[in-house]
Amino acid sequence: MNIEIEDIAKDFGTGRALYAVSLSIPSGALIALLGPSGSGKTTLLRILAGLEYPTSGRVRFDGADATGLSVQDRRAGFVFQSYALFRHMTVFENVAYGLRARPRRTRPPEAEIARRVTRLLELIQLPDIGPRYPNQLSGGQRQRVALARALAIEPRMLLLDEPFGALDARVRKDLCQGLREIHDRTGLTTVFVTHDQDEAMALADLVVVMSMGRIEQVGRPAEIRARPATDFVRAFTAA
Amino acid sequence: MRPGLLRTPSPLPGFGLSFGIMMTMLSLVVLLPLAALLGRGLAIGPAELWDMVNSRRIWAALTLSFRAALVASLVNLVFGLLLAWVLVRYRFWGRRLIDAAVDLPFALPTAVAGIALTALYAPNGVFGQALAPLGLQVAYTELGIWLALVFIGLPFVVRTVQPVIEELEPDLEEVSATLGARRTTTLCRVILPALTPALLTGFALALARSVGEYGSVIFIAGNIPGLTEIAPLLIVIRLEEYNYDAAAAIGIAMLVISFALLLAINAIQIWSRRRIGLV
Amino acid sequence: MSDIAPTRPVPVTTEPPLVRALLIGLAVAFVALFLFAPLVTVFAEALAEGGRGVIAALSLPDARAAIAMTLTIAAIAVPLNAVFGIAAAWAIAKFDFRGKAVLITLIDLPFSVSPVVAGLTLVLLFGANSALGAWLMANDIRIVFALPGIVLATLFVTFPFVARELIPVMIEQGRAEEEAALTLGAPGWRIFLTVTLPNTRWALLYGVLLSNARAMGEFGAVAVVSGKIRGETATMPTMVEMFYNEYLSVAAFSLAAVLALLALLTLLLKSLLEWRHADLLAATRRH
Repeated sequence: MNIEIEDIAKDFGTGRALYAVSLSIPSGALIALLGPSGSGKTTLLRILAGLEYPTSGRVRFDGADATGLSVQDRRAGFVFQSYALFRHMTVFENVAYGLRARPRRTRPPEAEIARRVTRLLELIQLPDIGPRYPNQLSGGQRQRVALARALAIEPRMLLLDEPFGALDARVRKDLCQGLREIHDRTGLTTVFVTHDQDEAMALADLVVVMSMGRIEQVGRPAEIRARPATDFVRAFTAA
Repeated sequence: MRPGLLRTPSPLPGFGLSFGIMMTMLSLVVLLPLAALLGRGLAIGPAELWDMVNSRRIWAALTLSFRAALVASLVNLVFGLLLAWVLVRYRFWGRRLIDAAVDLPFALPTAVAGIALTALYAPNGVFGQALAPLGLQVAYTELGIWLALVFIGLPFVVRTVQPVIEELEPDLEEVSATLGARRTTTLCRVILPALTPALLTGFALALARSVGEYGSVIFIAGNIPGLTEIAPLLIVIRLEEYNYDAAAAIGIAMLVISFALLLAINAIQIWSRRRIGLV
Repeated sequence: MSDIAPTRPVPVTTEPPLVRALLIGLAVAFVALFLFAPLVTVFAEALAEGGRGVIAALSLPDARAAIAMTLTIAAIAVPLNAVFGIAAAWAIAKFDFRGKAVLITLIDLPFSVSPVVAGLTLVLLFGANSALGAWLMANDIRIVFALPGIVLATLFVTFPFVARELIPVMIEQGRAEEEAALTLGAPGWRIFLTVTLPNTRWALLYGVLLSNARAMGEFGAVAVVSGKIRGETATMPTMVEMFYNEYLSVAAFSLAAVLALLALLTLLLKSLLEWRHADLLAATRRH
């Protein structure tokens, strides 16, 4: 699914988070929103998910206006920075949540849900952790469970907010690789937010550099490295 | 009113429903009745209101309620701090029992506390008999009112100070010691100032509760007009005489005292949050 | 230098043992004198004529009617209170809107209003000599000196309990889990039942417990609004007063002992909750 962002702006009570940004995300791409904190990247991601309403502008999914679409109807697989796993549910119940929450008409039978959850746990290479609770998992395991939970609803796109932020360097590298593989296997349009330029450059097809609520540059990692469009991009990517 | 205009939009559902339930119940249960009291006051008129409150018996009752609450809350300030400190810092047999018992005045109905205290301190009661040779009569005197209000207000200071003591950093005390301070100096100059906002809040909460207390007091007070008759009792008496205007006048006077205390509590909390980030 | 005898260092973050023992002794004595002595007295006075006296007292028709009345009131007021608390906590913790601080102060207001004044406000609002009261009377609707008035008075005095426990817990838990459930396609009621409620159930139970104790034990507000009609509107605490004033000591203390047992049960459950779910209730205690 391709995503069109047209002049999206966002005001909070205290100030402006986004200044009319536009961006076109081709179907099946893996995109990084890169920028320092306060650059508006997370706000943009949350607007795509429907968790935040833009002050003005439009979002189109496959050409259809999705600006007023409810969060539930967007079917955006969202991985939260803190993972937001349900503490009182097992890993299995967490991953099954979205399927069980469907209206009866479209809800798969329990056996089918179990089959799908098992397959997803295999996909994230943690086949045996279904009965465990989130607080019994390591940070890396939690991140992968959050990813599996997001994938379980058969999302139209995958949105990740600082997916590797809370992890140490070695785990981070493994999981970057894991996300790339899952993206390539599912072909989902994927947008992730990061403040780490190495992560963005290594993983993404297309990098969107943001600062102070504006998009500074959009390009392939090599282009951005070779021809930074502004002083900010030069300074930020040189770090 | 459309709350949507005043709130930041959110994708989470249920704002209208929950806000509606909240405002409906708040209005029906709290705001409308209080408005009825204030409306009654307005209908009577300020001058009439003042005339009604300005009698010796009512002044005696109001000052008694306030004075006894003040004394009891001061006692609770001292012993509440002591209890909170002992419960957090020391380990001893029965600590958990004492900790749980501190909430007894919250859980025990006030009328039950009232008759129990009266039975204990009446001239023929266990404590009453013990105190009689000392020439001390507690029941049916102002002393009895103080006692009942100490009972009622005890948990407030303990429960506001306790969490603050728990979160005190031991570093502070160690630093103070490395700078050459004696233990007493550390307690007075480092610990006590850190606890002051919580102590004041607990004190004000206990005071607010004690000023309006009725159930635990009326049994032990003796209820002699002008001497041991508290303000809430006077409201009840006026209501029983169907003198609604006089009851409303005393009620408004008490409400004014309550609001003043509430404002004081809020001011303390804002002040302490600004100054040291503690509540 | 070397001639200083090595002594045990004096600990700098606690008091000398003697002072400690003294302070503990004082604290225990204070609690024993002010809390345990009255509690023991209740049971001692109830049992003054033995167990039979208690049973006889509790089988008095007035006593039984009062017990039934108190249970009825709690059964109506506590669930209503829980509904209010949940609604208030959801609106205040999960959304941003103006005037929130004022709203919280208004919810806390009943804590600083005398119960007698609370009862008075209801009498003035619904009593026979108000406009509303006259209309109600004409239509044969009884509020004051009847069950609805007592329920309203009980609601007033217990109003903040559940909300106060739930709001800080819900604020601390944030919105991320609810938002995650949203992105997974769950409808609102399902998010509430499967995510919010399980996460806050201990705080809710805690609030309900406190609210119930106060609802069953409220005296001042109920005394004013109920008219204390025996066998009709008298509750357990107001019946305690009437027995006591009629010098029916055993009857008064027997009914009081039932209330005291309820208070002890409340404290026990409350302590269990605090020990087992200290982490979940931490937010309410810091409040």
